[in-house]
Amino acid sequence: MQASVLKDDLMAPEVVADPHSYYHNLRENERVHWNQRWKGWVLTGYKEVVDILRDPDHFSSDRMGYLENELTEQEREEIAPIFKVLKYWMVFRDPPSHTVLRMLLNKLFTPTAVERYRPMVRKIVQKALDKVVDRGKMEVVHDLAYDIPMSVVLELIGAPDLDRDKIKEWSEAIGVFFFIKADEPRRREIACEGITALVNYIEPIIAHRREHPGTDMISLLIAAEEAGQITYNDVLGTCVLLIFGGHETTMNLIANGTLALMQHPDQWTLLHNKPELIKKAVEELLRYDGSVKSTVRWAKEDIMIADKLVKKGDRLLVCLSGANRDPLQFPDPDKLDITRDPNLHVAFAHGIHVCLGASLARMEAEEAFAGMVKRISCPKLPEDAYLNYYPSVVHRALKNLPVTFHKL
Amino acid sequence: MGNIKVTVNYNRCVGSRLCVGFLPAVFEMNKDSQSSVIRADAATATELVQTAEQCPQCAIRIEDSETGEVLFPTADLEL
Repeated sequence: MQASVLKDDLMAPEVVADPHSYYHNLRENERVHWNQRWKGWVLTGYKEVVDILRDPDHFSSDRMGYLENELTEQEREEIAPIFKVLKYWMVFRDPPSHTVLRMLLNKLFTPTAVERYRPMVRKIVQKALDKVVDRGKMEVVHDLAYDIPMSVVLELIGAPDLDRDKIKEWSEAIGVFFFIKADEPRRREIACEGITALVNYIEPIIAHRREHPGTDMISLLIAAEEAGQITYNDVLGTCVLLIFGGHETTMNLIANGTLALMQHPDQWTLLHNKPELIKKAVEELLRYDGSVKSTVRWAKEDIMIADKLVKKGDRLLVCLSGANRDPLQFPDPDKLDITRDPNLHVAFAHGIHVCLGASLARMEAEEAFAGMVKRISCPKLPEDAYLNYYPSVVHRALKNLPVTFHKL
Repeated sequence: MGNIKVTVNYNRCVGSRLCVGFLPAVFEMNKDSQSSVIRADAATATELVQTAEQCPQCAIRIEDSETGEVLFPTADLEL
């Protein structure tokens, strides 16, 4: 076994750089593994991962509830501003309160509904590529990937003119609390400042929208609040969640997918020659190196998973990227094959918490990849470049992706 | 309109339970926690299409069983 597996070190530099080998090693040896360092179970096999994700009766997503129990009174006070908002995020809620919010918001995010944003996304991609095609080089994360999801999220909440740089800054601050910079000693303070700033920014917008309703997401939430279906805290929490969660993951998907295609020039050429493969290609890029490596659940009662007894209250790291390379589910799993079908990957999770923005992310990624393969040659990494990922158990996030290419 | 045929594509269904939430008389979860059709005639064609549209995976197919016309998903949404 790899040293990092033996040390249970999910943040070891070699694991952050190449999580797939780590998961592979673990899956081959122990599909349900107690990680002493993380103090929870780590699951890397497709069957186990899918079984847990589709079973909200036995596995809870109530992260705030479980966290609250672990904290001292003083710690709880310190992070009160975070708790006040995050406990209303539907990603951290179980049925029935999850169900009400999900069914309400789902209609804005269906495969059909997101099509209204496609022309806008296509234009953003075109504009971004116009700027770089003659130059023959770009930095994929900031020159292309960043602007797409951010623009769509702002459009969705009906506030296209919000200050993007500020939103990014506050979102990063909130992110510190969850995954990035787990070693940052001020992480709670930083996250509290970020969330307070974001809330102060959004509340006047909600108040204004209450007086002047439109067809945007905030207006939909307010109408549901006024009909007594949800509370004001749900409205506010959901706005923060969408702004925070709506841009980073899709940005990373576009960067990771570009890199995967670069590393498989035959697949880049295939997509260039057969643009009708774009939907299948996006599914495969999601499977091959998606932007969310794992998600967490808590056992609601003692339960056997494979041959292991998981105790009530134990937490489980459900490795989506591990499941996505399980050879029992995907033949030749380490091969990128943009014609792969069927391809029931778990990149957006499965079950009741399957990513609300999945169709939006798919559409945005389709436009980004289709735009690129049409107009530029398969990019290469410059000789002096190296790939640097944010140290995170959850996110697969490149700090940047500088590439060179020529115009087609 | 004739009889409506409702099918779930098990290579697409991820068990979101949304269809069960919207039309519990038509859909239920099976032992694999995927959706299964119990009574296609327990809803109107319009309700069925509206519910199929809510599926994040486009896993539900609605057809007119007499004419074979596919009411959902539309061709542009097919993988």
